[in-house]
Amino acid sequence: MLPGDFDIQILKPTRKRVVLGLVALASTLGFLVVLGFVLTFILSSWWARPIVFGYDEGPDQPIAFPHTTHVQDLGMECTFCHRNVEKGASASVPAVSLCMTCHKVVGDDSEEVAKLREYYDLGKSINWVRIHRVPDHVQFVHDAHIKHFSGEGKTVVETMTNPDSQIFLEDAKKMKRDSSINPGDIKDIESSEVCAVCHGDVASMSKVKQVRPLKMGDCVNCHRDNNAPAECAVCHY
Amino acid sequence: MRLPSVQCVTIRNENIMDLTRRQFLQMVGGSATGAVLFAACGVPEESRYINSPHQMPEDLVTGLDNWYATLCRQCTTSEGLVVRVVEGRAKKVEGNVDYPINLGKHSAKCEASLQSLYNPDRIDRPLLRVGDRGKGEFNEIGWSDALARITNQLQILQTQNKQNGFVMITDPLSAHLGDVTQRFVSGFGGRHLQYETIERTNISRAMKEVYSQEIMPDFDISNSAYILSFGADWLNTWTSPTRYMRAYGEFRQGKDRERGTLVHVDPRFSATAANADQWVPINPGWEGILALGIANVILSDGLVSDSIRSSLSPDDIAIIDQYTPEKISLDVGVNADKIRLIAHEFSSHAPALAIGGGSAAAHTNGLFNMKAVYWLNYLVGSVGVEGGVIFNPEPPVPSVGKYSSSFEDFRNLSQEMSRGEISALMIRGADPWYGLPEDSGFRRATFEVPFIFAVSNFLDDTTAMADLILPENDAFEDWGSDIPDPAPGYQLIGFQQPVVRPFYENLGDELGTKNFADIMIGLAPQLGLDLALPGTTFTEILKAGAEDLWRENRGSITAADFDSFWYGVLQRGGWWDKDSKYQGTIPSVSNVPNPKSPKFDHSPSQFPYHLIPFTSTGIGDGEGAFLPWLQATPDPITTATWQTWLEINVYDAEKLEISEGDVISVTSASGKSIDVLAFPHPGVPPGVLSVPIGQGHISGGRYSEDRGSNIMSILTPNVDEESGALAWAATKVRIEKTGEWMRVPKLENTFSEFPRDENQHIIKVTPDESSSDH
Repeated sequence: MLPGDFDIQILKPTRKRVVLGLVALASTLGFLVVLGFVLTFILSSWWARPIVFGYDEGPDQPIAFPHTTHVQDLGMECTFCHRNVEKGASASVPAVSLCMTCHKVVGDDSEEVAKLREYYDLGKSINWVRIHRVPDHVQFVHDAHIKHFSGEGKTVVETMTNPDSQIFLEDAKKMKRDSSINPGDIKDIESSEVCAVCHGDVASMSKVKQVRPLKMGDCVNCHRDNNAPAECAVCHY
Repeated sequence: MRLPSVQCVTIRNENIMDLTRRQFLQMVGGSATGAVLFAACGVPEESRYINSPHQMPEDLVTGLDNWYATLCRQCTTSEGLVVRVVEGRAKKVEGNVDYPINLGKHSAKCEASLQSLYNPDRIDRPLLRVGDRGKGEFNEIGWSDALARITNQLQILQTQNKQNGFVMITDPLSAHLGDVTQRFVSGFGGRHLQYETIERTNISRAMKEVYSQEIMPDFDISNSAYILSFGADWLNTWTSPTRYMRAYGEFRQGKDRERGTLVHVDPRFSATAANADQWVPINPGWEGILALGIANVILSDGLVSDSIRSSLSPDDIAIIDQYTPEKISLDVGVNADKIRLIAHEFSSHAPALAIGGGSAAAHTNGLFNMKAVYWLNYLVGSVGVEGGVIFNPEPPVPSVGKYSSSFEDFRNLSQEMSRGEISALMIRGADPWYGLPEDSGFRRATFEVPFIFAVSNFLDDTTAMADLILPENDAFEDWGSDIPDPAPGYQLIGFQQPVVRPFYENLGDELGTKNFADIMIGLAPQLGLDLALPGTTFTEILKAGAEDLWRENRGSITAADFDSFWYGVLQRGGWWDKDSKYQGTIPSVSNVPNPKSPKFDHSPSQFPYHLIPFTSTGIGDGEGAFLPWLQATPDPITTATWQTWLEINVYDAEKLEISEGDVISVTSASGKSIDVLAFPHPGVPPGVLSVPIGQGHISGGRYSEDRGSNIMSILTPNVDEESGALAWAATKVRIEKTGEWMRVPKLENTFSEFPRDENQHIIKVTPDESSSDH
């Protein structure tokens, strides 16, 4: 033993110490297991979302439906297909039969339209990959939000040019790409013009993707900015 | 001592890289738990997609619910319902607040009707018998083939000129379906019998003979001050319980009125008895004589008005004079003072109401019992007045009588079947094979019928005997109408509309289910019958019926055009006219019914116990046994579920050393026996045994078959000779312990822990009470 070194006394493994050691070891292991589960829960709940700590590319859909063609080029309103958005909680996706009202005769040269017709002929439904989803314990009611932002004489607060930007609202927002509209204008806002508040400029997306986190913080911030109630039971009921 | 440990270390070193069984299991368990937890934290697979349906009608929007008004066909008196439908699927049933029968309330049977729609044992395609009759072996067959076979069989009868060899047995039908059935059967030249396990023959006969009414009157319970009921468990199962229960709430706690008094006379402690101010246990079958005893007190003590007294003939008074309380008290089993007290209270609380039914109507003198009970209403001036018996008007559309055929009719039919006189039997919505006593001969006789076809959703005991089974739409998938019996004192017709598309329509035209009336309408032209119906489908017939109502321009819905009227009717679940009350005369006091004592054929020493079967709260008389929610609906008295039990007096049980759960063999004088679970109960009079009806099905699906015992099968087929009704409460039995034991499935704990009030017993029935009275 070197002089000056501490006299390290090796602890004799008495029965008490062994038991204490084992208890400490078991507690540590237990803590690590619990920590592992908690981390697994948190991480998996994030990974299972379309976005992982950021904004992903939109997923491939069974039919590559181009919102660009339908909204930008043809000028169709969102509410033409998502018919329930002003009426109830769910915006609803259109039935295959609704698509076929046009595509019986339109789009003969498109492979995607051919897929659609096949679905229709076989009487099958289309399982679209869901992009926007809130957890089961959250109730999001589309019609209430649409009614809040749309209507007559709304003040335009901000216009949107970048579909990826997050925008905070006060009264209403003109989301359409329309160069003639400026913040501060008083406008009558159609239902279809406010979808973009949460969904971004879907009209310009060839593949729809999520542009806002749609996590609780996002909801609460928006509610506060718009003087909407932010009590728990507003969404968790 | 060291040697073994050294060896141990050595072994460990050798196997250090090996995986022990324990380690392997730990790792597997750990990784499985991890996988489950990881998966559980994620998004469920079905939430990753949004389904874009092939077709989307307006009522199929995701997340939007629709409420459709329709009728419950599980209840004996159809109740008005609104059904919540989400994305084309029926989800929840609620009472229709507009519908006059139930005014927003609904029974457990209505609630469980969803399970009929989604039942895993539903028949989804026509079936043809392949094995021996009754073995339950069937093969799939197309609708056109099935209907061709029926047509063929019925055409043979026509060519042989033996149309009277065709018999149709259905549940009691009314309104438009009753009309179509009547036209089909009479057009063909056959016979139509309406079957109910608990028939209403004696009550309907009593209404006719006492009140000259063809239609069941309404009992104005809510406005009554005093109700004296005999045997009818009207707060639980009898006739129209939801309506009566609602009225009972008014009767007890209605605004601006005194609390009504309820006295219930019954050999069984039923839910109505439990709610009564006073339960009067009576010797079974003596209810009519007790009613005469009460009449005797009312007359002799001058409790009757002069006008009523003067309308009684000397013969009537002479009959009543014979039945003094002292004279009858021993037979009836009720103390003379108590009879006097009841008579005084009954006559001094106007309006008072006497109601009878249940086991009181099911003795060899059942018709007399009913007549005597309902006759009491004359004596207290409660006929045709508020708070008493209110007569019902004729129904708004022509309707066949809803009353069931009598037991005698079925016994005669069984004999005809045995003699080979019946060539084709059609069954719909009725299960006589289950409900008729084995000694009636019906079961044996079914083997003698060459062709049986059943229209049924489930393979109940009768359907299982069929050669051909045609599946019917569920009530929630189908059109219909119903005239409630009894109506609420004015004209009412309920309309039933489909709330969902037929569940099995995707099986194509050849398979799946159909409407019963449409089957008959389809068969008629093949058989050369002209039914002279106002439409080619049942829906058209219903609409034509509604159009007649629209033209009358009165009642709950009036409209400028028929379409608005029709939508109004469907939205409100029916049509009624509160001003269309009974217009006929109130009959003057009828003659006192001829007294008749009950007969029990068998020696008391051999068969010492009275057997009082009773209708189950949930599964009724067995028709609801295939619905698990009804199976699990606890009996209000015992809280028992899912089984057949035997309510026996606690002292009787003590004497025989019977305790709860002992498997008891009950043997009737017919020599048949069943096994049931003992349930000693302080509310059963000594010498009386009560057993619920409804279990013991041979077939009927996973929830009903091979469960409990069928009490109806062992009954001795005694009848009331005057009416031909089955005296199902007149069977005497003996019991034996089998030595087996099974836990009674019940919600409540044992009765030994029942809170007792030593000074004021809640239930006072001991063997000593009745003996000390006499």
